[in-house]
Amino acid sequence: MDGQALRPTASWENGTLAPVDRLRAERADSPTPGLVEGTEPGAGQKSAMFVHAQSFEDLTAEAEEEARRDDELDKSGECAEELKVLVGEKTIEEQRNNSISSESRSKEEDVSSEAWRSHRKHVFVLSEAGKPIYTRYGTEEALSSTMGVMMALVSFVEAEKNIIRSIHADGCKVVFLTKSPLVLVGVSRTCQSDKELLRELQYIYYQIVSLLTLTQLNHIFQHKQNYDLRRLLAGSEYLTDNLLHRLDRDPGLLLSAVTCLPLASSARDVVSSSLQAAKAKNLVFSILLAGDRLVTLVRKKDQFLHHIDLHLVFNLVGSSSSFREGEGWTPICLPKFNTAGFFHAHISYLEPASELCLILVSTDREDFFNMSDCKQRFLERLSKRSAYQALKEALKCPTYSVAQVGIPELRHFLYKSKSSGLYTSPEFPEVYHSDEEQERLMGLYQDLHSCLHHPTRPLRSFYRCSETENLLAWVTSGFELYLCFSPLGTKALAVSAVNKLLKWIRKEEDRLFILSPLTY
Amino acid sequence: MASGMQEKQYTPSLLSFFIYNPTFGPREGEEEKKILFYHPSEVEKNEKIRNVGLCEAIVQFTRTFCPTKPAKSLHTQKNRQFFFEPEDNFWIVMVPWFETQCIEKPNKDGKPPTIEYQEEEILDTVYGAVVRQCYSMYKLFNGTFGRAMEAGGVELLTQKLEKFFYRYLQTLHLQSCDLLDVFGGISFFPLDKMTYLKIQSFVNKVEESLSLIKYTAFLYNDQLIWSGLEQDDMRILYKYLTTSLFPRHSEPELAGRDSPLRPEVAGNLLHYGRFLTGPTNLKDPEAKFRFPKIFVSTGDGYEELHLIVYKAMSAAACFMISASVELTREFCEQLDGLVGPQLTLLASDICEQFTINRRISGPEKEPQFKFIYFNHMNLAEKSTIHMRKTASVCLTSVHPDLMKILGDINCDFARVDEDEEIIVKAMTDYWVVGKKSDQRELYVILNQKNANLIEVNEEVKRLCATQFNNIFFLD
Amino acid sequence: MSEEHYLELCENPVQFEHASSVNNVFFDEANKQVFAVRSGGATGVVVKGPDDKSSVAFRMDDKGEVKCIKFSIGNKILAVQRTSKSVDFINFIPDYPHTEFTQECKTKNASVLGFCWTNWNEIVFITDQGIEFYQVFPDKRSLKLLKSQSINVNWYQYCPETAVILLSTTVQGNILQPFAFRSGTMSKMSKFEIELPVVPKPAKLSLSERDIAMATIYGQLHVMYLKHHSRTANSTSAEVVLYHLPREGACKKSHVLKLNTTGKFALNIVDNLVVVHHQSSQTSLIFDIKLKEPDCAVNTHQPVLPARSIHPYRIPLSGPAVVPSQPPVPCQLYSSSWSVFQPDIIISASEGYLWYLQVKLPPTVNLLQDKGKLMDFLLRRRDCKMVILSVCSQSTRGVLPVVATVFDKLNQVYKEYLEAEQSYTVAMESGPSRGSAAQKRPVRTQAVIDQSDMYTHVLSSFTERKGVSHKFIIAVLMEYIRSLNQFQITVQHYLYELVIKTLVQHNLFYMLHQFLQYHVLSDSKPLACLLLSLESTYPPAHQLSLDMLKRLSTANDEIVEVLLSKQQVLGALRFIRSVGGHDNVSARKFLDAARQTGDQMLFYTVFRSFQQRNQRLRGSPGFNPGEHCEEHVVHFKQLFGEQALMKPSTV
Repeated sequence: MDGQALRPTASWENGTLAPVDRLRAERADSPTPGLVEGTEPGAGQKSAMFVHAQSFEDLTAEAEEEARRDDELDKSGECAEELKVLVGEKTIEEQRNNSISSESRSKEEDVSSEAWRSHRKHVFVLSEAGKPIYTRYGTEEALSSTMGVMMALVSFVEAEKNIIRSIHADGCKVVFLTKSPLVLVGVSRTCQSDKELLRELQYIYYQIVSLLTLTQLNHIFQHKQNYDLRRLLAGSEYLTDNLLHRLDRDPGLLLSAVTCLPLASSARDVVSSSLQAAKAKNLVFSILLAGDRLVTLVRKKDQFLHHIDLHLVFNLVGSSSSFREGEGWTPICLPKFNTAGFFHAHISYLEPASELCLILVSTDREDFFNMSDCKQRFLERLSKRSAYQALKEALKCPTYSVAQVGIPELRHFLYKSKSSGLYTSPEFPEVYHSDEEQERLMGLYQDLHSCLHHPTRPLRSFYRCSETENLLAWVTSGFELYLCFSPLGTKALAVSAVNKLLKWIRKEEDRLFILSPLTY
Repeated sequence: MASGMQEKQYTPSLLSFFIYNPTFGPREGEEEKKILFYHPSEVEKNEKIRNVGLCEAIVQFTRTFCPTKPAKSLHTQKNRQFFFEPEDNFWIVMVPWFETQCIEKPNKDGKPPTIEYQEEEILDTVYGAVVRQCYSMYKLFNGTFGRAMEAGGVELLTQKLEKFFYRYLQTLHLQSCDLLDVFGGISFFPLDKMTYLKIQSFVNKVEESLSLIKYTAFLYNDQLIWSGLEQDDMRILYKYLTTSLFPRHSEPELAGRDSPLRPEVAGNLLHYGRFLTGPTNLKDPEAKFRFPKIFVSTGDGYEELHLIVYKAMSAAACFMISASVELTREFCEQLDGLVGPQLTLLASDICEQFTINRRISGPEKEPQFKFIYFNHMNLAEKSTIHMRKTASVCLTSVHPDLMKILGDINCDFARVDEDEEIIVKAMTDYWVVGKKSDQRELYVILNQKNANLIEVNEEVKRLCATQFNNIFFLD
Repeated sequence: MSEEHYLELCENPVQFEHASSVNNVFFDEANKQVFAVRSGGATGVVVKGPDDKSSVAFRMDDKGEVKCIKFSIGNKILAVQRTSKSVDFINFIPDYPHTEFTQECKTKNASVLGFCWTNWNEIVFITDQGIEFYQVFPDKRSLKLLKSQSINVNWYQYCPETAVILLSTTVQGNILQPFAFRSGTMSKMSKFEIELPVVPKPAKLSLSERDIAMATIYGQLHVMYLKHHSRTANSTSAEVVLYHLPREGACKKSHVLKLNTTGKFALNIVDNLVVVHHQSSQTSLIFDIKLKEPDCAVNTHQPVLPARSIHPYRIPLSGPAVVPSQPPVPCQLYSSSWSVFQPDIIISASEGYLWYLQVKLPPTVNLLQDKGKLMDFLLRRRDCKMVILSVCSQSTRGVLPVVATVFDKLNQVYKEYLEAEQSYTVAMESGPSRGSAAQKRPVRTQAVIDQSDMYTHVLSSFTERKGVSHKFIIAVLMEYIRSLNQFQITVQHYLYELVIKTLVQHNLFYMLHQFLQYHVLSDSKPLACLLLSLESTYPPAHQLSLDMLKRLSTANDEIVEVLLSKQQVLGALRFIRSVGGHDNVSARKFLDAARQTGDQMLFYTVFRSFQQRNQRLRGSPGFNPGEHCEEHVVHFKQLFGEQALMKPSTV
């Protein structure tokens, strides 16, 4: 897939990639598709917080370049890595003991049973030697032969100077992703496109890298080709499980964006500045979360955090309750930032019962006490101001109802501001209360997403009128918009709804988005 | 099919095409026995075995996840392979390959150009359908694989496969395959009630007086008007007639060298009738009265029939007669004498009617849209995108990418059987609309760059009102 | 053999006392009355007419031998000729003087050849020197000469229907001079010449009265000339030459009927057929002057059927004279004692019988092989219906081309009638005032065989018939439909139903599909419903019937019902919306349907859409009590909670 995203899509991306500073005054009230990126609702004022990712492909783009970087790093800190891993492993180990995994792992399943087969989505990770590393369902042992076959297929095709991508049968597809030294295989009964599945495998890949670093991985397999990686990853499977669960439900991972806690800009600015004030030498990122929602993020100048890395952090925090015990200190590799080395994250909740979780990312593994000191300073500044109260208030309603927009036929929507990498979306309405319904809707959004971002035939807009709902998706240089209407809604309605909604978002943008991200 | 020319020239777009049966060479070293047909034949033996091996592996592997539904296609970076198991353990594999699948990207500073593969260039649904079509076509002229096996074992089967596919593969034009191949539809000739009834009564009278005739099909302008065959048989026969037989004979007509008036026939009735299959000239004492045999399904199994295709001007009648009967010169003369004049008459009738209706409907100005219509119920197909399909290629009047978008929408529709409508705007600002109502599918391409969703919808409504006012389309 | 006799004598002949030395018998063509005059009337005159009320019996004084005796129309006045100079009259009008009065012919020393009544009180004397046209005044017991014309007359003939008298003039007698009479007026028509086979030298009377007859055929007055063959003029056989005698304009030779034999002949006209009796062979021939003969020159006709004798006839010996149990005696046909009168009367004076000649159609069916010709022939006959229908069912055993022609002939007539009806009703609607001369309703002859006739008598039984290939059955049905269409006759849906029934019986659904595709079976609600009923056996029928309902464009409600029955609630709503009926459908109906599907989301969707409708129409999302949606509101709350209900929007 290398670089496909640069093909026709490029036409409307070129030139507008860099965020443009704009004064609020200049922003149009009802945005039009023509508006320049950086002025769409939710666009950041200064430079954005994240590495830009219009669509997923650009991740694979830098594959080789990554490799190069690894080699260099490899030489330098080999022994150092070892240690880090051990530390890393330890902490993960203890997390495992009190981890509440979102999905009860049905390890003891009979892998020849219909029940096992009929899971909606299987994910397998194996080494290039064909050794099992991870399976979502069943035990790796039971599947070693199956994974052996997978590897055989991969290498057979490779022998022909070719790469296996996927196998298609009615209602079932198998997708292969080779990320040396790992091979990831997804088996899905959903109607997701290969690309969507690939994207999910990528996430899994990065999840594993984030635990070990790519350097570490390469190193291990260079030395011992059929090393059983599970020894290192033991106890961390629930992270992968959770990530897979998120992938099914969290629009953020689909949109390559994160969503924020609705909060008055005044309050948010105070929180940000307090965080900004609490800086330290090796501190790279300070992130304040409310559940899965971003409150604010402060970063070192010209250090960008990629949304994937952020999601991995979210996953780490969200998957484990151990951090509630007090201040956590854990090494974490942010693969989109650097696949070679570990950062060290200081993770703690502002108050035991609170949803507010502070993550301070440092480059120095000895920095624990500096970080915890930063936290204290932040808390002091914060509690001095009324902002903290406002923040706590905001926590009470972390989401909003679509009814506020005032379009009866509108059931739900996703809106992503491209330049800021942030998105907003209301809570699911009554009809989608069940998990199945919510995942179905997500599935529909995924469809739209992959249609619009088709590698060779991307689309500007997509309207589908079906028996269950009417959907409209629209991509401009500035934003991506996905709407879900009642199936009895008309096209005329859809068109007018878009404008009305964009106006509404513009009106609400300083609550829903982080318009002025800060750096130290 | 008339015996073909000898010089080898395979369609470049076909990388390989092979048929195998894993049960034929179960033991080590016997793998070659599995292979019943392999194109290109010159491929080195071990490579053949290797490729078959891969397919077996893929199929086997997929079974671990869906035992009931076999693998249909394998995507790799460089190409796609399509699998089809028409009869138990018989597998057909096709690997198309097009230049468009890879682009050379020149590299600066003297590096060799990097090759970039366009993995989404090929639509699974289209080529999956093509493979199935290959089999149906074989079956039409040879019956099932199983039949050949019963008759003469592997030996006979391989002969038949060789004989058939050697020529058939040359007639494949994979490049120009598209949505229409997925539908495998039949284009019906629009006709007023009265003329249609005339044709009915013509067919009935002929079948009465030539009682040997079991089924009749009637076409005009390569479009079907009447079929006595069941739908699925007609579908593939129609494919054969319109993409192979008629084009082969149309050239002389297009060149104005239509078969001359033949005053010498019985009753001194002038007519343009001639056999497209069987004898080219009845008068020729050497004339052979052999006709192609086809296999059509009956309630239980299939029956073998002679296929007589008889044409007068633009009207063609297919008469099917049980293969057990020996067809004689007398019969052919009788048929020629009876059908020739009537068919000639009908042909001009139809032509007249058609032009009248044309005039009524008024001169058509180049419309803003192009469309494809298909009805699964009667396989009726209509396309303003495709210029008339010739033997060589089928020309479409829109950009391939748009055609592929149609394909994508079609896949979408195939997923659920409820009614659906999809309207997309491509990067080129073309609008593409897909509508699925009951068993019908309509695809419209609008070239109105500045239109919005509402206007596009209006445009489509107008189209339905003019083109499809007589059928029920859910809004 | 017997079923081959296509001519017969009527069942109940008029009986009268047969002619004898004491009993003279006279026949009046005008009133079709037979006069039996016993001893000059003294012993009584018995008048027998076609029916009893036209029969009279009376007495009159014997004033010498009666030459001719006739009632005026309506038996008002009796005219009797006893001498060659005068005619005597007797009033038969109640309370008018009964005593006879006499009228001498005006022309000096002319002798009266005969007379004919042209009205109840108008009479024409024909003398050898001309004709005299009188009006009779019974009360005054006198006559008044209205008009007279002097011309040498050899003999004359009278055609009562048209009140035309034909006079044979000139020496050879072959110049015929017709006169037409109408209430008080006498008009001379153009005279014409009969071509004689040979012109005698020296000239002598050579056209005999016996060889000329007048009759109206197909509503036109014709003079029939029985032209005997003659050795000299090399005509091998005799023929009948018809001269058409129009009211205005010249009379001209119109038809020649080839008799292909010689001898003694007599002519009758029955049901517009010319019947030629041939005495020596004791057979008769029939000619239909409308029957075109492809294989011979225009207006020359061959007999329609081979010569056959009249159906044998037995005289029922009845009346006092007869001893019971005596079997009826066969009557000698073609006897020399027969006298034949126009149009269809045969009298045997010697036996005292008057018969009407009749045509028996059934035998013709087998005698006439060419079915097309047969249909042409039958369609012009009076009591043809049943025979034609039998021909139809018979032909459905034959070959298609024949079936086709039979149907086409049939529908030709059918169509003409329908058109006449049509233009009549149009004329009526446009008001009798307008439009030339009050149009009169077209009569529906038996020849008009409509679709229901065909259905009940031919087709329905045909489709049931055993051992007929369904291929052929369908072919025949399609032929009939084809034929109807060809004549632009709208086909009745029961015929379509018959077709469909047959197709379904033999699982020929694809055929059916193709027919419908080309609208061969035209749209109608009954047909659409029939299709719906087929869905279980043939799913596509559903689509077909929906299409049909859509084309009818008056069946939107039905469409909604169909969709709802398929649980396509959204489809139904979208459809109703597309035809603009959304605002006045019953919310209840759709909510019921939606709830029935058990699909919660569907119910939600439909419910909300109606709330929005209410909002739009009444400014509030609530339902009116009248809509009876309470239970659904409750249900909705149960499923999605209070807050899911649409709030009345403030704007």
